[in-house]
Amino acid sequence: MRMLVQSSVLGLSIGLTGCVTSTVDEMVFNEPIEGIGDSSVVILGRRHASDYETEFDFVNCISKHITARDPNIEIIDELEFINSLYPWFEPRTAPLRPGDIDRLMQQKPVAEQLATLKLEYMIWVDGSTVQTNSAGSMTCGVGPGGAGCFGFGTWGNAADYEATIWDFTDQAEVGRMNTQTSGQSYMPAVIVPIPIIAPVQGTACDGMGDQLLEFLSSEH
Amino acid sequence: MSDSMTLGPSVSVRAVGARDRSSATVACFFLLMFLGGCATKEVSVKGDFPPPLLEPLPVTIGVWYEPDFLAHEFYDEAKGRSDSTWIVKTGEAQVQMWSQLLRGMFDTIVPIENKPSPEQVSQIVDAVLIPRVDELQYAIPAHTNVKVYEIWMRYAFELVSTNGDPIAEWTMTAYGKTPPAFLRSDEAAVNLAAVVALRDAGAHFITSFEKVPEVAQWLENQQMDTADKEPSTAL
Repeated sequence: MRMLVQSSVLGLSIGLTGCVTSTVDEMVFNEPIEGIGDSSVVILGRRHASDYETEFDFVNCISKHITARDPNIEIIDELEFINSLYPWFEPRTAPLRPGDIDRLMQQKPVAEQLATLKLEYMIWVDGSTVQTNSAGSMTCGVGPGGAGCFGFGTWGNAADYEATIWDFTDQAEVGRMNTQTSGQSYMPAVIVPIPIIAPVQGTACDGMGDQLLEFLSSEH
Repeated sequence: MSDSMTLGPSVSVRAVGARDRSSATVACFFLLMFLGGCATKEVSVKGDFPPPLLEPLPVTIGVWYEPDFLAHEFYDEAKGRSDSTWIVKTGEAQVQMWSQLLRGMFDTIVPIENKPSPEQVSQIVDAVLIPRVDELQYAIPAHTNVKVYEIWMRYAFELVSTNGDPIAEWTMTAYGKTPPAFLRSDEAAVNLAAVVALRDAGAHFITSFEKVPEVAQWLENQQMDTADKEPSTAL
């Protein structure tokens, strides 16, 4: 009987998710109407701020979101790109404006490497997901008859990301997208804790991924 | 990231000798047995460092790693029962990163076994570079309440002629940080912050080396020497 209750609770917690509010803004021009052809795109996170850095996981999530819906879009892996062009895309040296690309291209090996990659768009993602509040308490104990928890916890998360699209050939900014997402997660516990997680970062990833897909793909 | 940047309420680290460290470790062990506290966290920094993508400078550089640099580590003793003692060994990773970086940055790199001096003149190199770690600071969320692991280093470099005469001396900072992640231990986060700091050190060195006035002057002289030699070779 206990097993049945535990399995039901586990199934319930997997099925439950918290509510998320998401806002997406975009401003794009010079959209590639026929797609990007055999050119490639790289999505990079900004990591030069002192108090936060754009998560590698978030950048990877956007890349996967786009390629899953349009496999014709070639997205270069972020870490591979940064390593193959070391040290020109480290937080200290990464270009902050499209005009800085010129300075990079003056380095012959860098220009050759970028030509090999057939890079058409460089997309910079800046932002992070943070915990905004938390409340409640939970007590867990173990005894001869078994273990269990009792209490209630809640916490909020907020994600704020901005993507800036650079046209690598024209060395110009051609779009900017912003996604703001927030949500509240809950964890009630009566013997077994039931996490009701708000997928804040996942929703932000889907929102930004959809907007970028619309820009890059000829089929969306 | 400026040179004067500090890590805010960070923890100062002092280097200690091997004997001091082993005494402290033994003391910690016994305290751990009797009190159940004073855990030691030890990290031997490991990471992959990519080769730099740039045109190598047309000089042959000798590089001498001092014994302190080869075995560089920092040690921070626990301040209370809830704190941990930290030992972070960076020597191996320092040598790995700098050797990789310098191989890509100069035409030829020659490891030197002793400091150049009038008695130890090396004829096969144009100059010898001696890197040192002057200072290292670290901060973890438990110390600062900021959800970032940070490592800050200040390097001192010496470029000397083949008979040991100083050509240039300068300092340079490097910084690395990483946010906490689910299921990532303190040790793994400190390792990652150290790897980021080492990468930053490489990036800073590449972008600042030719801007050191004495180095720029020396490189110019080297180019002029090479240009002077070329016509005679042709004849």
